[in-house]
Amino acid sequence: MASLGYYLLLAAFVVCAYAVAASVAGARRRSRPLTDSGIGAFYLVAAIMTAASSVIVYAFVSGDYSIKYVARYSDSVQPLFYKITSYWGGLDGSIMFWVFLLSVFGSTAVFVNRERHRELIPYVVAVISVVQMFFLFLMIIHNNPFETYLTENPADGEGLNPLLQNFYMVIHPPTMYTGFVGLTIPFAFGMAALITGYLDDSWLRAVRRWTMISWLFLSVGLGLGMIWAYEELGWGGYWGWDPVENAGLLPWFTATAFLHSVMVQERRGMLRVWNVTLVILTFFLTIFGTFMTRSGIVQSVHAFGEDPELARLFTIFMVTILTVSFGFVIYRLPLLRARNELDSWMSREAAFLANNWILLFSAFFILFATMFPTLSEAVTGERLTVGPPFFNRWMLPVGLTLLLLTGIGPLLAWRKSTLVNLRDQFLIPVGAALAVGGALVALGVRVWTSGICFALCGFVLGTVGQEFWRGARVRQQATGTDVFTALVGLVARNKRRYGGYIVHVGIVLMFFGFAGEGFKQDEQVLLRPGQQAQVGDFVVRLDAIRETDDGQKQMITAHTTVFRDGAEIARMFPAKWYFRKHEDQPTTEVAIRRSFAEDIYLVMPAFDLAEQSASMEIVVNPLVNWVWVGFGFLALGTLIALLPETVFAFAQARIPANAVTTSMLLLSLVLWPAALMAQGGQMVAPTDRSELQRRLESDILCTCGCQSPMGSCPMRPNCGHYDQQAARLKAFLAEGKGYDEVREAFTVEFGSQAVLAAPIDRGFNRLAWLFPYLAALTALAVVVVTARRWSSRPVAVAAGDAGLDPALSARLDDELRNLD
Amino acid sequence: MPSDAFQPWQLFTLAGLIGATVVVFVSEGQTPAGVILLSLTIFAAALVGFAAWRTLAPIAAGEEAAGPQVLGGRTRAALEREKTLALRAIKDLEFDHAMGKTSEKDFAEMTARLRVRAAGLLRQLDAGTGYREQIEQEVAKRVGDRPAAAARRSRAEAGVCASCQTQNDADARFCKHCGTALGGAS
Repeated sequence: MASLGYYLLLAAFVVCAYAVAASVAGARRRSRPLTDSGIGAFYLVAAIMTAASSVIVYAFVSGDYSIKYVARYSDSVQPLFYKITSYWGGLDGSIMFWVFLLSVFGSTAVFVNRERHRELIPYVVAVISVVQMFFLFLMIIHNNPFETYLTENPADGEGLNPLLQNFYMVIHPPTMYTGFVGLTIPFAFGMAALITGYLDDSWLRAVRRWTMISWLFLSVGLGLGMIWAYEELGWGGYWGWDPVENAGLLPWFTATAFLHSVMVQERRGMLRVWNVTLVILTFFLTIFGTFMTRSGIVQSVHAFGEDPELARLFTIFMVTILTVSFGFVIYRLPLLRARNELDSWMSREAAFLANNWILLFSAFFILFATMFPTLSEAVTGERLTVGPPFFNRWMLPVGLTLLLLTGIGPLLAWRKSTLVNLRDQFLIPVGAALAVGGALVALGVRVWTSGICFALCGFVLGTVGQEFWRGARVRQQATGTDVFTALVGLVARNKRRYGGYIVHVGIVLMFFGFAGEGFKQDEQVLLRPGQQAQVGDFVVRLDAIRETDDGQKQMITAHTTVFRDGAEIARMFPAKWYFRKHEDQPTTEVAIRRSFAEDIYLVMPAFDLAEQSASMEIVVNPLVNWVWVGFGFLALGTLIALLPETVFAFAQARIPANAVTTSMLLLSLVLWPAALMAQGGQMVAPTDRSELQRRLESDILCTCGCQSPMGSCPMRPNCGHYDQQAARLKAFLAEGKGYDEVREAFTVEFGSQAVLAAPIDRGFNRLAWLFPYLAALTALAVVVVTARRWSSRPVAVAAGDAGLDPALSARLDDELRNLD
Repeated sequence: MPSDAFQPWQLFTLAGLIGATVVVFVSEGQTPAGVILLSLTIFAAALVGFAAWRTLAPIAAGEEAAGPQVLGGRTRAALEREKTLALRAIKDLEFDHAMGKTSEKDFAEMTARLRVRAAGLLRQLDAGTGYREQIEQEVAKRVGDRPAAAARRSRAEAGVCASCQTQNDADARFCKHCGTALGGAS
């Protein structure tokens, strides 16, 4: 089986090479048979990769441990489901899975577009094939998933990493990969347009849908990753700014920027160079993300380990991509000139520019901060860490600005907004923002970042609501129906726009959830059975600690009862699981009780079976579920935007029903019926931690190699480093040291700044703190200069209807009337 | 070209089915999941076969497809879709205008551009059967001598060979089938 798989990979490589040669030759010679044959070869690669995939999955299912990859990532006791998904559990398999997805996705895209964009297709085939060839090449010479043991085959495998044996972890990587892979399609079309010189807007039309699909997958993938981190890692948060997470976020930002700026090109014929650049950048960042996580160049919890040779190969590939694609952009610059100029800074175009500026800034800031430790090690030789505190400090204002722009953009008119126009449009949203802000002040909310965020949420919702309302009114007048029908018709008619607004609502809900973070409560306490502790309104009582075993793993479960205002609301079971063969990596099974107002989140980082005591971490996470609901809205909005024209007729009837079911599905988070029960037991005060200590706990890293702040090490209790670090911290604080002094003391103790979650602002590291300003200013300057250049270069506009003969014009009017 | 003849994909599906059946009988002692996956592998192999045929067939068939391109059903559908898109864009624009989101000048310019595009697509669809007529019309319009075009058309009618009824090109002097001199050729 192993050699069959390997031959299939070899065959795929050869066929890819043929596909490139045949389609390019066919396009150059205008020979239909050659092009057709190239396209056929392209489908053939997908077929071969399907066969190879089913071979490796068969090896996993039948337990063929003579294959190294199978032996490393599965064992015989694993459930069938996880055996199948072990396919993408490791480096080699994930590359293969990547090629498989790319070939299938690419074939679909080519198949769908083969008639409409006949002149582009051969080059699309060639570009995608070249990308496939690179990954196939990697597998053939370096990461062969079908490699076998030369002698002695192991009797059983080592088993998949326990952290990955989680439902979300199973669907998260394929979703992410699909998103990543999908972004190759726009790149291929963009390159094809550049190569052929057919740079009108037709390639954009082909690409938009695919970008949206990939974007949807990417967003959902990111959301699933967040849910996984929240439920499986057990530090009470969902986003840790880990390099691998960031790798997924980078192309998401540029793809979002592209989806917005493409509208400007469609409407006004501007930003043509920029759009091509964004497509190329997005693709580059997907490859770069893969490179970052697979070559071990950055340290991360879920990087695949160090591999300098892979890093070298990737570097060559990336440099080639950049050189070739930007070479073509420069070569075609004359064809990419803008058709229109920027008239006013108070226009939709300018808002889009600002939006692109922020999104690109986010992408580059994250890229820079993620790569900074590597950079610093190369320049100064000092290892350090750029962790969550650094990212949070910067992304907070950036996120809020983005949210503000989400609200402003749709209110501005294209080309130029007049003053009257502005007052008319901004009245309601600003009113909404002020109302929310005022209510918050009246209610006594004093966390100002969250307060601003809530007010901005109100602003954006006001904008979206106003758009829907006014649109419905206009349509009502045009069609003469009632408002509700008009609203449904409105969404069905302008799916892309109103789908987009629903996505905006999703973003608002996410921010609403993020803002809840400001009210998070987090306590640690050591409990014995019968004892209880209070956090916020909740009282948690430990009833017992039990040990069970299901053959694959040993489970230590704490049985707890949670009360709120004296009433029992839930029984919760946080646990630690010790998987066979991975006893050193216990997984923390979090117990979560969800509600829309807040989650109560229990973790048991350590326990003592003999003494029946458990140290508990009790976290109250307000509003966190709105983040997931936001992702639901985002998906819903994108799906509405993606509905093809042909389902238009059904869509009118279906949309409301769809919306209801989907949101109900997402919102079906059960509230447990509250049963009154007497809460007895001895009260235990949570471990007393001062404000300073809490702050330092998130600023100083755990030393077990998990790369997370000590307060959130996923390896507790077996890491043991937490206790050491905590003891050290306590000692320093007892000496009466302040924030900076403690940080200093830790740096001295460990001999480098690597122990700090963010580098100290000194020497070379000053660059890290300065860079964001520099980047933002440079980008702003570039935006202003380009915009001004447009303004000073009016281009003759083609005369309108003059060229149309009246008969045709009349027919057009007729068809337009019939369209609605 | 739909035909009732045995299609290649049918052959490969059949081969896949037979292969899968054989696998089910041959593989004793396998788990059900294993058997299913083996069958899937066989189907993938059939798919590989089909795609290989798809790759090689055009080459083997040679260059015969280079004649005038006729709008096939699929191309026509694609054009229709494009046209609907353009019309929708115009509608969107009118809607925007009604919502007060576009200036007068802008609205006029963009509508004009989209209308030209939609009209182009309409014309293309009208041309329908082939590009040849469309090109001829275009040439006629640009050159501006309609009589010449008319003459060409009448000559095209005359392109039918008197002796063997073969339809010849409009500018042919002799019949391509039997060699008889065609009437009207100067």
